[in-house]
Amino acid sequence: MNTQLNIKTRRWLFSPNVVTLLIGIVVVLVLGGPSTQAQTTSTAPAGTVDSSITLVAKGSLTDATGFITITGDVPVTGRQVIDTTNAATVTLMLLDIDFSQVQGTSGKKVFVTGGNHATEIRPFQATDKVIVTVPYYDSTKDGLSAKSMLATVTLNFDITTGKLTSGSVTIGNNVVTADAVGTTPVAIQ
Amino acid sequence: MSDRNFFLSPKASKARLREAEQARRNRQEIIKANSQGQVSRRDLIKMGLFTSAGLLIPIGGLSPFARSAFADSNIPTGLPPSPLLNNTTAFSTPMPRFDVFPRIPVASLTPAPTAESNQTQQPVDPALGGGTGPIEGRPPGPIWAHQQFGLLPPAIAVDASVEGAKTNNTYNPAVPSTQNSGINPANPIPFKFHPNLPTQTAVKAWTYNGTIPPKLMQVRYGEPVLFRLHNRLPAQQNQNGGFGIHTISTHEHNGHHGAENDGFTGAYFFPNQFYDYHYPIVLAGRNSINTTATDIMASSPTDAGGLNKVPGDWHETMSTHWFHDHMFSFTAQNVYKGIAGMFNIYSGLDRGAEDIVDGVNLRLPSGRASASGKSWGNLDYDVNLMIADKAWDAAGQLAMDIFEFDGFLGDRMTVNLTYKPFFEVERRKYRFRILNASVSRFFKIALSDGSPMIQIGNDGNLLPHPVTLTQLDEQGIAERYDIVIDFSRYSVGQTVWMVNLAEHQDGKRVSKDLSLSEALSNTSQDPCVGKFLEFRIVRNPAQPDISQVPATLIPNPDLSNIPVAHERTFEFNSGANQTTNDPITTFFGPWGIKTDNQGPTLAADFGRISAAPKFGTREVWTLRNGGGGWDHPIHIHFEECQTLSRDGSVSKVPAWEKGRKDVWRLRPSGEVKITLQFRDFGGMFMEHCHNTMHEDNAMLLRWEIDGAGTPFLNPLPTPIPKPQGVTFMAPDDILPTAFYD
Repeated sequence: MNTQLNIKTRRWLFSPNVVTLLIGIVVVLVLGGPSTQAQTTSTAPAGTVDSSITLVAKGSLTDATGFITITGDVPVTGRQVIDTTNAATVTLMLLDIDFSQVQGTSGKKVFVTGGNHATEIRPFQATDKVIVTVPYYDSTKDGLSAKSMLATVTLNFDITTGKLTSGSVTIGNNVVTADAVGTTPVAIQ
Repeated sequence: MSDRNFFLSPKASKARLREAEQARRNRQEIIKANSQGQVSRRDLIKMGLFTSAGLLIPIGGLSPFARSAFADSNIPTGLPPSPLLNNTTAFSTPMPRFDVFPRIPVASLTPAPTAESNQTQQPVDPALGGGTGPIEGRPPGPIWAHQQFGLLPPAIAVDASVEGAKTNNTYNPAVPSTQNSGINPANPIPFKFHPNLPTQTAVKAWTYNGTIPPKLMQVRYGEPVLFRLHNRLPAQQNQNGGFGIHTISTHEHNGHHGAENDGFTGAYFFPNQFYDYHYPIVLAGRNSINTTATDIMASSPTDAGGLNKVPGDWHETMSTHWFHDHMFSFTAQNVYKGIAGMFNIYSGLDRGAEDIVDGVNLRLPSGRASASGKSWGNLDYDVNLMIADKAWDAAGQLAMDIFEFDGFLGDRMTVNLTYKPFFEVERRKYRFRILNASVSRFFKIALSDGSPMIQIGNDGNLLPHPVTLTQLDEQGIAERYDIVIDFSRYSVGQTVWMVNLAEHQDGKRVSKDLSLSEALSNTSQDPCVGKFLEFRIVRNPAQPDISQVPATLIPNPDLSNIPVAHERTFEFNSGANQTTNDPITTFFGPWGIKTDNQGPTLAADFGRISAAPKFGTREVWTLRNGGGGWDHPIHIHFEECQTLSRDGSVSKVPAWEKGRKDVWRLRPSGEVKITLQFRDFGGMFMEHCHNTMHEDNAMLLRWEIDGAGTPFLNPLPTPIPKPQGVTFMAPDDILPTAFYD
């Protein structure tokens, strides 16, 4: 059975392309030595446009701690994705909104977000408003003590190139809270 | 949003709803004929119902995306909404905890398990061709014998079946009813998605043991398990309620064990047969790292509260698996019918007893050994959630449309196979092991008030560090997210909900991630957006919450000294070709995989070897989404991998993906680079899209680890299962780059 099974393998192994490939692999292994990390490429595939922008978060909120001023850079990366196989497909914008550098201060207290990112898939449009909650907590504690604030991220795109052009990040109290915690079981159909 | 949506609004005109229901019935007739073997996909192409690429022709009265006679624009016909019969309402019934499989002595199994498949003959049902065939469906001979069976003999057994829906009279949630929303397990549980909905018939729903709630297997390192699974489905192929097939293969996702136990898609077995799966429950690297079991971090909980040291790399410790059917070309239908369960693995690190302080135990929320008497595996505050979208017909019976090759979406959210339930919690921390068990739907989960959650695990693995989030990342099919929610922030009497933010218009991918307020506004046309699980904060804990979420959980294995032997590229595309024609091993697209940039994108053939990493090596694989119109959650069997980059950038790997994983959402036009090792065991494994409609049609390939020593050949013969016995044939195709030396 072994012999029979190996017939196809042998045929392929000795084809010119495979021989060339095998020689190439040997050369790489001998000359290249052990590799510990894959090489990465930043080439965007067809139908995609990558862009990025760094916005500055501004705002404040009030909680049991008191008044907290929020600031910090918010790098935003976007990838416009066009379905090149189907023109009817809605063009997408894949967003990564990095809140890791956002901090709050209240007196001597410092609040951090714990390296938080928001990843979003959105239909591409000239202006998009992404509203997300973001955790924050006292930098001397851990994420279990976190509360949430509301970030309103407005992003403007060049509809011709698909690239991010400008935007803003406004931080405030998480007003969703008021509507979203019930006091009695509610039947919703 | 676009007016193209998968399900019609209940407010649609009666004429539209009638048209959609008629279209569904027409499709069901063809689905039924196809699933019962009366008509093949090839026949459907000849009949003009499918394109040669496998796409359903948009014929009015058949395709949901054909233009409606009643529409005034390009609105698709859509599917009729699943009726909420008998005034069924959301959040009106408790969520049942999983039903824990009994662990029994191996000696109680008759016949006793054997290393090689038990080929004792028995009569075969005439519906399956008659004659005689083996009692065990596992392929015979040394290649499919349990690897290291003598070294790792099973210590316990689980004896279970797959069968049609029936009432559960033996429910064991392994927690008191106070931790199960008051459910009395002594009461029989009929197979219903909600008490007000009809009982599912035995042909419509198939599950492990034929019952709900879904099953949980609790295992621990160093204690090999023999999972004997009986196929008790009807011998008649047409007794399937119109979809699903009675041949099955169970994948323990993502077990580190020999391929004979992996649920290979072509190693399926027939009604009235059993299959012995041997799960050794070992740490990866057991044959090369910590081989003498001296490292206490690599350990398993003993019944007495201590630790039993085990070989292997403790950085490879796993926690949350699931198991499900993997039948070739029918995984979507069979899993949708209910053939899925969860699988918790316990270790010294993650032992499920929050009060044991031994310097190893991470003390994650679970329960107290001192209260339960169980030194591991306490489930009081460690809750499995199986989330899946379902649909049912006008009679309330489970319904599916396999014509949706883009992906099938249900319009009703279920948790643990219960429609929009509630769950009672105490004011303390809980761990939730969330599994996306849908066919094609992605979720994005938040709490209704935007409160933070702590993600501690991704797929089977605890993260290196917990991540604080107010909304989880999208969760693809088969991905598991372990999170901790601290309900102490709420008051007794309050309620808060889990909310789905990911809106679909079809099964290709998420169309839009909504804000919390958008998702709560009930304005989305996607009926599965919004609240789907209600938490009722009912009391303070009887004892203080002493569970922890440490700042360091399980660091990644160090691969820096392990050379990369080879790199491969897999591109996931539509428009696949099929270059082979074996009627058993091949299937048609439209989906497929291109390997190493060579030749066409190929549709699945489990007789084709697309990659053959050498035993004992490490490789780097690039998983590329070949298009922007869809997403693919790609699963690689066997060993957990590390994510090296996304879209060519290390920095694009988010914090919650910095641990080990086994499923990656590629994202539209996206690319993920991963690294993985091939050690400890050998045999044939798979790689596929876990949008199971894509997997079945036919985005799946076989790869195998050869050269693991006797009895492994190079390459392995393909099993061809028949009720009268499994035969073998040579691989019908081997890609040129599969074997690289």
